[in-house]
Amino acid sequence: MKLAKHPIWIGVGLLALSLGSTGAVAQQGAFGGGYGPPLKVQASQRTFATSDDHYAYLLKRANGGTKHTLASVPRWDGLWVAAGNTHMAAFIDTGNLGGKVIQGVLTPAYEAAYKERWRQQTEQGQVDYDRLGECQPPGMPRFLLEPYSHEFINLPDQSYLINDFGPSIRRVLIGKQHNNLYGTHSWYGDTIGFWSGAQLVMSTKYLYPADFTRWSPMTSNQFESIETWELKKYPGGIERLEVQATFYDKHAFVKPIHVVYAFRHATDLQKADYRVAHWECEQTNNTYLDDQGKSNFHLPGEAGFNDGRGQTHFPQLPGQSRDPIYNTTLTPGAN
Amino acid sequence: MKIAYKALLITCVTSLAAMTAHAHHSFAMFDRSTEVVKTGTVQRWAFNNPHSWLYINVANDDGTQTLWSFESASPTQLIGRGITGKSFEPGTTVTVMFCPLRDGRPGGGSGWVRVADGQYYATADGGCNGTEENIARWKGWMKLGYTSNKDAQAAGAK
Repeated sequence: MKLAKHPIWIGVGLLALSLGSTGAVAQQGAFGGGYGPPLKVQASQRTFATSDDHYAYLLKRANGGTKHTLASVPRWDGLWVAAGNTHMAAFIDTGNLGGKVIQGVLTPAYEAAYKERWRQQTEQGQVDYDRLGECQPPGMPRFLLEPYSHEFINLPDQSYLINDFGPSIRRVLIGKQHNNLYGTHSWYGDTIGFWSGAQLVMSTKYLYPADFTRWSPMTSNQFESIETWELKKYPGGIERLEVQATFYDKHAFVKPIHVVYAFRHATDLQKADYRVAHWECEQTNNTYLDDQGKSNFHLPGEAGFNDGRGQTHFPQLPGQSRDPIYNTTLTPGAN
Repeated sequence: MKIAYKALLITCVTSLAAMTAHAHHSFAMFDRSTEVVKTGTVQRWAFNNPHSWLYINVANDDGTQTLWSFESASPTQLIGRGITGKSFEPGTTVTVMFCPLRDGRPGGGSGWVRVADGQYYATADGGCNGTEENIARWKGWMKLGYTSNKDAQAAGAK
């Protein structure tokens, strides 16, 4: 048998090509894309002036929502990772690198700002700066594509959407009304929701300005989201948690944006007995913005270096190294 | 033959997975057109979020040592490639292929790490290339004594 002519090689080639395109998509916008059938946006046929109107319509259509019990509330147990999204298609004509910013989707100021960001991405292969390098939380809508591990816990009165980055937790208060007790905005704002059968519908408001990701548009403090989360099952044992979202932002968008995000069960991590651990970016991150306006790193021995595995403020006491296994020190040596 | 097919498929998937950059910051600080290998002694393998870092001491020609720092992917990604917090133990000798910091300081984005028993680990995040194809190319270049992709390419080495 000549391997080069064997059908398996055609299959392998096709697999490589398909995965290759997946990798490219994942790198540019659709983190984890290529798992399951292509994601399709299911935008509402109606238009709404505000996210409040949109949410009220959905709640009324669901007759006030399904009152789940502990026994009936949908379970999304286990570890999850991002499995693609369509957000780039909303802003880039090809939906990927090589495309151009679609005119008229963003407001003039946000479009101009995004064109500069996209210029850096396309010309340099990287944007100069990413706010996460300063250990800012992903915030919304970036939470929806973050590549670290996720856990989603549903209770009848509240859902917890957890990303281990930060860690970041979105709390969805079932059956509540929006309430901005703090009188200010925050990274995850205030999220209320209701169940419509197996669908979790939610509304999020009072958010900090953020972005979709570093090569995507920025969002303002008026960004608001309406999301519908649902576990979908496809042939081949594929389970995908799909998030149909409509984003409102009167400063950034000319009209609401419709996108879909997805997560898949991280069976590889579960097999490896992966444990979600608390971690703080400020402790382990050494990224900074240099005088050229680019991201860079502090190295050991340099001013500003943050030794995440070093000592506490009480090094004279036994057991104060953060890494008791190796207990190594970083000595720059003869640089 | 079945095993060969399976191995090929795994290689294919692993290579492409390694190409996918899932990082929390820009990689503008790394010169991804330049690839260099250095061999040294592991000082620390910090298997950390948001990024892992490998620190190795490399001997200089004048007898001194320089601590080199290499940024790598997050544990979430590396576990899927068979890498854990104990993969590179302090005191062991490793060879690292990396894309250097543009400003010339002793550091870079790691592509892969070869440990003492000859096994290769793809540690790359978005800062450098850690694919099977890259490892295969470098195996050939290292046999010829090259430590820089630009030197190897200038000499026409395949």
